[in-house]
Amino acid sequence: MWNLYLPIAGNSINILLLFGLGGGVGFLSGLFGVGGGFLMTPLLIMTGIPSTVAAASDSNQIVAASTSGTYAHYRMGNVDFKMGFLLLVGGVVGGTLGVQLIKVLMALGNADFVIKITYVVMLGVVGFYMFLESLQSLRKKAVMEVKRAEPARPSTYARTIQALPWQMRFDKSGVTFSALVPLILGIMVGILAAIMGVGGGFIMVPVMVYMLRMPMHVVVGTSLFQILFTCINVTVMQAITNHTVDLVLALILLVGSTLGAQVGAKLSRRLKADQLKILLASIVLLVMVQILVSLILTPNLLLGYKGGH
Amino acid sequence: MGLKMRKLAWLGLVAAITLVPPAAAAESAKIRLFPARVDIGAFFQGVEVHLQGEIPPEAEAVVEIQGAAAQQELLRKGRRGGLWMTVGEIWVENAPNLYLVLSSAPNIPQLNGPETPWGLSALKSRINFRGVLHDQEKDRFFQEFLELKKSEELYGALPGALKISNSPEGRVTLKGTCLLPAKVPPGHYQVRLSVIKDGKVLEQKNEELEVKMVGFPALLANLAYGHGAFYGVVAVLIAIATGFIMGFLFKGKAEH
Repeated sequence: MWNLYLPIAGNSINILLLFGLGGGVGFLSGLFGVGGGFLMTPLLIMTGIPSTVAAASDSNQIVAASTSGTYAHYRMGNVDFKMGFLLLVGGVVGGTLGVQLIKVLMALGNADFVIKITYVVMLGVVGFYMFLESLQSLRKKAVMEVKRAEPARPSTYARTIQALPWQMRFDKSGVTFSALVPLILGIMVGILAAIMGVGGGFIMVPVMVYMLRMPMHVVVGTSLFQILFTCINVTVMQAITNHTVDLVLALILLVGSTLGAQVGAKLSRRLKADQLKILLASIVLLVMVQILVSLILTPNLLLGYKGGH
Repeated sequence: MGLKMRKLAWLGLVAAITLVPPAAAAESAKIRLFPARVDIGAFFQGVEVHLQGEIPPEAEAVVEIQGAAAQQELLRKGRRGGLWMTVGEIWVENAPNLYLVLSSAPNIPQLNGPETPWGLSALKSRINFRGVLHDQEKDRFFQEFLELKKSEELYGALPGALKISNSPEGRVTLKGTCLLPAKVPPGHYQVRLSVIKDGKVLEQKNEELEVKMVGFPALLANLAYGHGAFYGVVAVLIAIATGFIMGFLFKGKAEH
């Protein structure tokens, strides 16, 4: 009764299930500023959507969720457009380099190995670091409030980024450093995102927090702004080259995800930054464990369809 | 002269009896499908196709429903450094995109002597594998391929799914139902009834089943495959508009 036929996926699926998936992932998107591609695509594949269609249609729905999320965060003054633009330019350059790298790896026959290992390592490193750092921060907060820390000597990283040319003030983020820093970091994230086949939000968020030292609430809005443009590009390219964007699937997901993103964005204002980081770290670690288990356990079938992440 | 003519006539009669298959002599089998055309509309979730027919007395029936053969590109999984991952591509050639076999007997009937042309195991001689696999691995990957297709309900064997009954007029009627899954690709499907008696094919009848996308799904599929750039831009614009509308609606609520 509640089933709808998806013409590009070539399958029928329950509308309520898709709506629920969209809502859940959209909620996380609004809450953490991640596109949710690393969660949604595997979930769609589990429901019987071909992996290529799942990845492309997911990009389309992320456009809606990130538009909604960016708009919500923009109204709250949480989007650093200057920083977002530099990261976006870096991300596009990095993405192009990453696609070329994948081509070389595919020719050498070990692309899948590199992709899977990158996934596990990146999710593991990001998840563990965020989790531990946030936990320590939460524990120390009480002590810090009583005992004023002496001004610490700037780290090597801080000294390096201050020494680079083209110093620029980012008012929204309250930081000043070289324009090269977000550009270079954008390129690095772009390469990783292209290798992993995702928007890169879950890597970009920690990069903004720990390497660009941006406040968490500005990070979320700026990350969504950058994801919006990345996914517009991916959707149009997939529609032209692979014909894998299922508009019906994307529409149902995006109605759910835009609603979820609004709820997530509102809740993100009520939660503390460390609480947000711990929650995101937990989800990232869960996904990492799931991928690791799928790599270790013998699969039911030794044949599978081509495509996807 | 008369004797010669009579001999020739006898020879002709013998030749006619020998060359014309027994099936042509019997010509009593029939098969019909309901519906004969399946429309894939917006709410399509698979469909039951009813088969009705007639066969000669004391015979068994096999019905095959099969789609067009095509090349499929699949990925082979293997172990590298203790981890399971894709280790190469395998091309499967001449595999039908759908293959369902139904029979009246409790098992799928086999022929005496010649190789039985129906059933899942019969596909082995038709399907070809190439790519990252050795010759000795082909049997294993044929089984893997069958399991993959069965998991999608695109391949299946349904022994005993055809019910035979005797009508008061002395005819033997055949009835059966098979499910075409939601994943059935649009196209033309051949439905073949084979009548078997004593391990031999008495007769074969073919029908065609058409599966067609109609309405909104057809419109969308035509746009996606025929006008990819336009479709992609429209998909993005719809997503952006929905995002803004949702954002605006939430803003309105928040201000109250």
